[in-house]
Amino acid sequence: MSITETAVALGGGKTADLAWIRALYEFGQTAAYGADPLRVRQDILTHIVQGFDAESGSIALIVDGTEDELEIAAGTDLPQGIVGSRLQRGVGVFGHVVATGQPILINGNAAEAGLPLRVSEPRNRPAHSAMCWPLVVQEQIIGALAVNRATSRQRYTVEDLDRGQALASLLALVIANHRMNVERDNRIVELSTLNDTLQRVNAMLEDAQGQLIQSEKLASIGQIAAGVAHEINNPVGFVSSNLGTLESYLQRVFALLNAYIEADQATPGPATPALVRARMLRTSHDFDFLRGDIVDLLKESREGLVRVKGIVQDLKDFSRTGGEEAWEMADLHAVLESTLNIVRSELKRKARIEINYGNLPKVECVPSRLSQVFINLLVNAGQAIGAEGKVTLSTGVDGSQVWIRVEDTGSGISEENLSRIFDPFFTTKPVGEGTGLGLSVSYAIVLKHGGQIDVESEVGVGTRFTVHLPIRHTAGAVAQPADDLFKSAA
Amino acid sequence: MPNSLHSLEKLTMAKLLIVDDEPNVLNALRRMCLNHDAPPAIPNPQVMTFTSPVQALAYLQDHPVDLIISDFRMPEMDGATFLTEARKLQVNSARIIISAYADIEGIMRAINDAGIFQFVSKPWSDHELKAAIVQVLAHRALLVENQKLANEVRRQRGVISEQQAELERLELESPGITRVRWAEDGSVLLED
Repeated sequence: MSITETAVALGGGKTADLAWIRALYEFGQTAAYGADPLRVRQDILTHIVQGFDAESGSIALIVDGTEDELEIAAGTDLPQGIVGSRLQRGVGVFGHVVATGQPILINGNAAEAGLPLRVSEPRNRPAHSAMCWPLVVQEQIIGALAVNRATSRQRYTVEDLDRGQALASLLALVIANHRMNVERDNRIVELSTLNDTLQRVNAMLEDAQGQLIQSEKLASIGQIAAGVAHEINNPVGFVSSNLGTLESYLQRVFALLNAYIEADQATPGPATPALVRARMLRTSHDFDFLRGDIVDLLKESREGLVRVKGIVQDLKDFSRTGGEEAWEMADLHAVLESTLNIVRSELKRKARIEINYGNLPKVECVPSRLSQVFINLLVNAGQAIGAEGKVTLSTGVDGSQVWIRVEDTGSGISEENLSRIFDPFFTTKPVGEGTGLGLSVSYAIVLKHGGQIDVESEVGVGTRFTVHLPIRHTAGAVAQPADDLFKSAA
Repeated sequence: MPNSLHSLEKLTMAKLLIVDDEPNVLNALRRMCLNHDAPPAIPNPQVMTFTSPVQALAYLQDHPVDLIISDFRMPEMDGATFLTEARKLQVNSARIIISAYADIEGIMRAINDAGIFQFVSKPWSDHELKAAIVQVLAHRALLVENQKLANEVRRQRGVISEQQAELERLELESPGITRVRWAEDGSVLLED
């Protein structure tokens, strides 16, 4: 098929030529689906060279981001290494076409064709008859296409040049389309990378926000705690004092009553009416019961007060989670051992204690506060175990952090409770057995240390608390939780 | 503190002034102080209570006391300020703060300016508080005794005049008695 025929085909609508155009279009589509762009351009060029009944052809494209720098994008019969090479700016047939935006026809020598340029097409054999069109998309030149016919053949004519313009436009569209597809693919990749990053950042933010909420919650609860502790301590003070005084008064009253009773019993002879009335009152008012019950009343009231004092003490502890104390480099295993000594008697009734220590460096911390955390975790572990079970205490290093894990084979924590266990005053223990401050205090302490507590739990299987602590403490690394916001409650 | 315990024997009567803005606390403390049955007993306690530090200061102008007990947080003024003022009026009184709340700054003022002898936290334990009161009273008695003896010695050595010694003795016995308050018009102020 000659170029003339092709040109005719474009105007006349022959089916065979439509097939050629369709093939060209399909190359463009192939390009859209991420095939190797070099291959696709080469295939398109080969197709075009066949279409123009030429011996060779080449495509040069303007390099992205430049105005007129050209790069050989495809070529037939070109020496190796030429494809991909840059052309000298503004010179040669390609340079001329891109600069003027006008197609040219060269028959014989380029100079003879009246070209005002130094023709040196980078090809090893000189062309006899050649055509070169600018590739234009939306009025913008993106490169140029050239086809060559050998000396022995019929020369291209101006008509061929005109007709070929349509094909050049089509090619430009295919290339532009391909470029857009590649760009789109790149954008998709970029976007999904960006999306991944965003998701990661978002997760981090959510995490940080969660911690912030928790620490704010702790801070506000701590402020309330300090205030409440003061308000409660006043009434507790005088009620407790009054109870003591009452007890001492009652002892005197009872001593007096006993003396009267003894006197009554020791008095011989018939009873006076007053004595009879006193005896009746003693029986009807169940005096012996009253005497015994008053002792219980006082004892129980005192127990209640002891509990209130305990809660207030917890609240005070809560508002002081480790600001005043001195930081030191401590051996956490020693801290754990001394903590275990405190809770061992409570644990060993129903739990076996398994120790699995790793190799820990000394950690910068406030040991007494961490001990408080470990006590809370170990006591909780013990309480979670019904009849009998196992508590595993293990430690290890993870980069610049250490971890301490308390694991029990107890009842586990349900999912709805799991999200609330660090909330102040949240407790599942019976009234009077827990204030619901243990874990929130622990949380605040660990936060103060720049670490965190993780919890995993399965109902009926057990619970695992892991405390992560940085080996070196960096002041101000964490949002300040409870302390420093309050004055010490005296 | 064997010396204090020794001088405790000399304690025959204890005048106590207690300030707390909560009447129930005052009542409880009064009962506790007056209750002889629960040891340790305060010897012949006389207890005055005030819910207002200002009124308490007015009372202290003319009434010597052995021990002043004050709450820390009160609406009119805090315990440290009150005791600092009280100390100016009665330098030989012993001072205790009993409080559920005080910041470090407040405690420092209580110690440095008001010169408190004890800081007791609320809720207090009756036994411990009474023990503290008895100890503070004994300590205070010892200080007063020391001062008397020192004055006696200085008077004998002629370091201070008889008159000065007498003034100091009177002041020790009845704080404020040697200082006459003058009104602007030159009259002598008597407050009672």
